[in-house]
Parts: sequence; structure tokens; C-alpha cells
Amino acid sequence: MVLVLAIGDLHIPHRAPDLPAKFKSMLVPGKIQHILCTGNLCIKEVHDYLKSLSPDLHITRGEYDEDVRYPENKTLSIGQFKLGLCHGHQIVPWGDLDSLAMLQRQLDIDILVTGHTHQFKAYKHEGGVIINPGSATGAYSSMTYDVNPSFVLMDIDGLRVVVYVYELIDGEVKVDKIDFKKTATTQSAH
Amino acid sequence: MVGKKKGVPEWLNSPLWFSNLSDDRRSSRYETITLSPEPSSPPPAPPQPEPSPSRPRLAVAQRSEIGAHSGELSPSWSSPEEESRESQLLADFQITLSSRIINLGELRRLAFQGIPHGVRPTAWKLLLGYLPLDRTLWAHELEKKQTQYYTFKDDLLLNPSEITRRMEDSAGSKNEDLSCLSTGLLSRSNIVHGEHPLSLMKSSVWNQYFQEAEILEQIDRDVKRTHPDMDFFCGGSSLAKSNQEALRRILIIFAKLNPGIKYVQGMNEVLAPLFYVFRNDPDETNASHAEVDTFFCFVELLSMFRDNFCKQLDNSLVGIRSTIEKLSQLLKRHDEELWRQLEVTTKVNPQFYAFRWITLLLTQEFNFSDCLRIWDTLFSDPEGPQETLLRICCAMLIFVRRRLLAGDFTSNLKLLQNYPTANINHLLHVANKLRGPTVD
Repeated sequence: MVLVLAIGDLHIPHRAPDLPAKFKSMLVPGKIQHILCTGNLCIKEVHDYLKSLSPDLHITRGEYDEDVRYPENKTLSIGQFKLGLCHGHQIVPWGDLDSLAMLQRQLDIDILVTGHTHQFKAYKHEGGVIINPGSATGAYSSMTYDVNPSFVLMDIDGLRVVVYVYELIDGEVKVDKIDFKKTATTQSAH
Repeated sequence: MVGKKKGVPEWLNSPLWFSNLSDDRRSSRYETITLSPEPSSPPPAPPQPEPSPSRPRLAVAQRSEIGAHSGELSPSWSSPEEESRESQLLADFQITLSSRIINLGELRRLAFQGIPHGVRPTAWKLLLGYLPLDRTLWAHELEKKQTQYYTFKDDLLLNPSEITRRMEDSAGSKNEDLSCLSTGLLSRSNIVHGEHPLSLMKSSVWNQYFQEAEILEQIDRDVKRTHPDMDFFCGGSSLAKSNQEALRRILIIFAKLNPGIKYVQGMNEVLAPLFYVFRNDPDETNASHAEVDTFFCFVELLSMFRDNFCKQLDNSLVGIRSTIEKLSQLLKRHDEELWRQLEVTTKVNPQFYAFRWITLLLTQEFNFSDCLRIWDTLFSDPEGPQETLLRICCAMLIFVRRRLLAGDFTSNLKLLQNYPTANINHLLHVANKLRGPTVD
């Protein structure tokens, strides 16, 4: 039972001052084992805050990140799953699911976590699952101003993943979930 | 050696002489009294610890004066008289235990002299009230308890993911295998009962899980360092691992069922001898159910000493402080000189040493086999374990009175916090004599 937080595109301080208070009250240290951050934090203070939530923090570089040392992609294994992380501004067209699937096959992973569009998305194809946690602060994106703050928490338990989607709609936190299982057919055959 | 024992006058057996280290003549004569003074080598069957290096050598003890360890299976027990006594005791036990309705008084009387290893599990289960006295009811009782324990395990040992999954199944939500959808956007579904991992609601399974995480961590840590010198508990073998897992489960279930005291550090030490004895039952069927039996016996045992663990009761009439006070009064009644020396002159507050003696039921003061022997007496005494424990503690103090009378605060404290190895049978004999309203 491993809890993995997928979060990103905060754009602090340029486009948003901070995480919504209701999110902050829920994100307390000691509960989450891993954090996958898609990028665009943008400053060190946000990095330190995320580090305080969980010791195992993975970040990939977004185009506005002040720290240039974050990698472009990252892959890691958690339990039975291989996860990959990429900000997504490098994949053109932005947010195009087929192109992202291409990246997923390249990295040979089951779950790809990517951002940049600031819209939550969970998409399944033969190669695996793509998850976009959206923007945790609701910052405007290159494409739209209409953004709801959101992030994702994955509960990885054996071959099963429960994806909890936290979204702030009209000032209230709404939580949904998505279930999926990894079976032999979802492993990439290439 | 045995012959000389018979010739020794009674007064020399009085507890006053046991701690005498300085007088050569007396000690050499004493040496002939104790049987086989060599240190106990590890007995063949279940591994038992040597007088481990953590037990500090007696400062002046070149002779194993107080040293004859009386583990039941010690092969150094060479005298034929002792062996016949042992086999007689075993035979007596077997007779008592084979009757249809077991005579508890008789069992107590026999147990008081020390229970032979093979019958100890059964004897303890009877003395703790886990098994009924009517033999025919045993099978039924055991089955009932096993079912109960497995229900506990089922309910209480689940992690929140599994619990939420069960909730969904019972709520009948159609979370069909979404992997049958080969491509496309995954649809979002509603969460059950507002349960999600970051929930801050008091009733949330997840929230409770994280609240308890600290206790679970504590239990984990303590279990891992229980008796590190014993292969049974520690060491890489899968047997040790499964034993540790069993201890862990028992403590977790106990903590969840008793939110009043939850888990207190030290409970693992009280649990360990119980589990050890039951797991090493010569009867295979019993040994396989050791975890269940240990759990319920542990509950019984703790219920007798429950008040010692409850923080709120510390200063009350039944709490640990007043128990220590009772010990103090007991000592005063039996040996006022020693009491005065300890509490007034050297100002050794009994809380410094007696706390551990009492709450951990002397498991930390003696080696493992001696501890089992003491527990035989503790369980079997009709006065009840609390009273018996106090008497044994008092006897422990009187046993080393010479050194205490000669020492100052530091040396006395050091001595009592690292109690020297002693002849357990003598100790229990002295404790027995402390019974009753008047001084011996």
C-alpha cells in the first residue's frame, strides 16, 4: 500500500502565490511515500516544501523552473509498476495523447505522469496509462485561463492502482477515484 | 557434595549469608552447599541464553557463590537425588494433569516447586485460567478461542486499501475491471463514504490508520529488539522472523482492542516468555496454535497487572506508585535495618529499581530460564501474582543485604539495577518465608 503523490505546474510565485489552503491542510508529512512532480514549481521554496512532505521526491524540468538541474525525464519503479515522469512541454502537440503514448513506449513504463496542459487527464492505451495531475495552484496555462486546481494521489497496492483525483471546484475539494489493474496485456510487447 | 549438604546446620542456610563475599571461610563452606557451581551450559532442547555478557560479573565474585543456575534442563544437575526429585515431580504433574477434572489446588502446589519443561505450557494455561479445569471441555474452548482470534486478525490487521476495497464490494459499486477498456479516457467514479487517503475526518479509515502508525512503528521496533541474544526471537532464520511476526500481530491486536492502554513499551518483554513456552510445547498441535493461546494468556496476564501500565492511574491507589510503596512497606516490616539503609541513609528511591522489576515481572532481571522458573511461582501462588511479585522483590533485596548495607547511593543503585545472578530456588524459598503478617 504505497501512496504516491503526482503534482505539478504550480508556477509559484509568477502565476500563483501559493497552494489553495484546503489542499495545504490535507497535504501533511508522514502519509505519502513518494512524490512525482511534473515541473514548473518554479522556485526553491516550493522544492523545500515538497521535500518536507515526503523524503522521496522526483522532479522533472518545466520550462519556467529556476533550477536548471532537474532532468527532462525520470523513470522509477514502485512495487510492481514502472512509472515515468516528464513535464510535457517537450512533446508537441502539447497534450496530444498519441505523442505522449510514443514517449511512454520509449521509456518503457506502465504509468506516465506528465503536465503542462494544467488540465487533469487520465488516459489508457495499450502501452499503459497516462496521468496528468493538472495544476495544483490553478495557475493559467499557455492555452487557457480556465483552470481548476487539482492533483492526484495514487494508491499502489500490488497489481492494482487506485487513483484519487483531488480537484478544487467552487472552493470545495472534490475527490474522485479511478481504479485500474495491471495485467499481462498492458505490458508493452515491444 | 550432596552428603555435605545434609550435614550443614540450618542456620547457615539463612538468607543472611548469601551475599557475603569477604569472608573466605564462610564462602568456601557455602560453595560446598550449592550444587554444581559451574555455569550452566546451554541445555540441549530449546536454546536458552548463557548468563549473557550484559549481566555484569559480581565485582568480587571469583567463586560462583551465588551462581548455580537452576534451569530445569541444566545438564550440570548431576546429583542423582536431584534427578529423582525431578522425575518424581514430572510424574506427579502428569498424574494431576491426566485426571478428568484437574485439581487446581494440587496443581498450584506442584507448580510452586517449579514446573518441568514438558508440562509447563499446559500448566501455565491452566493456572492462567485459559483452559478450563474439565479436560473434556478443552477441545471446544480451544476451537472457540481460535475462531475468535482469527476474526480479530481479519478485522484489525487490514490496511486501509483493503478496507476501502471491502467497503466498495459491500456497497455494490460496479467497479468492473476497467482494463477491459483498451483505449480511451478513464472514467472517474465516486469514492465510497468519502474515504480517501488524505481524509482528515475522524471517522476515516485512513486517518485512523495514520494516527495508529506511530504505535505500530513502536511495536515494530520493540519486537525487533526483544531478546536479541536468543535465536528463537532474533537472527536471520525464517523461524525467528515468523516468531517476531507473531509477536507483532499479538501486540497490534491487543493495542487495538484496548484503546485504554494501547501499547506500552515493555509489553513485548512480558509477552516473550509466554510465546516462547507455548511455541515450544512438545505437543505439536498445541505448538501450532501458540499464537492464539499466547494472545489470550497475555490478555489474562496483563489484566492482573493492568493498572501498572495505565498512565492515569500512576498516582492512584492502584497504580504503580502505590505498588512500589507497598514493596517499601513490606521491606520495612521484614528488614527494617535494610529499609532504613536504602531509603533513608543512601536515599535509593525504590522507583529507580522496583519500577522495572514490577512492570516487567522480573523478565529483565534474570536470565530467561530463571525468569520462567519465577513465573511458575508467580502464577501458582494462591495469594495472587501481585502479592507474590512483591514478596519476591523483597526477597531480592534481602538477598543482597550485606552489599546494600555496605554500599552508598551509587553502588547500591548500580547493584539493584543490574541484579546479580542468584540461586533462584533459594530466592523463592526466602520469598515464601516472607508470607504472613509477622517477620520471620
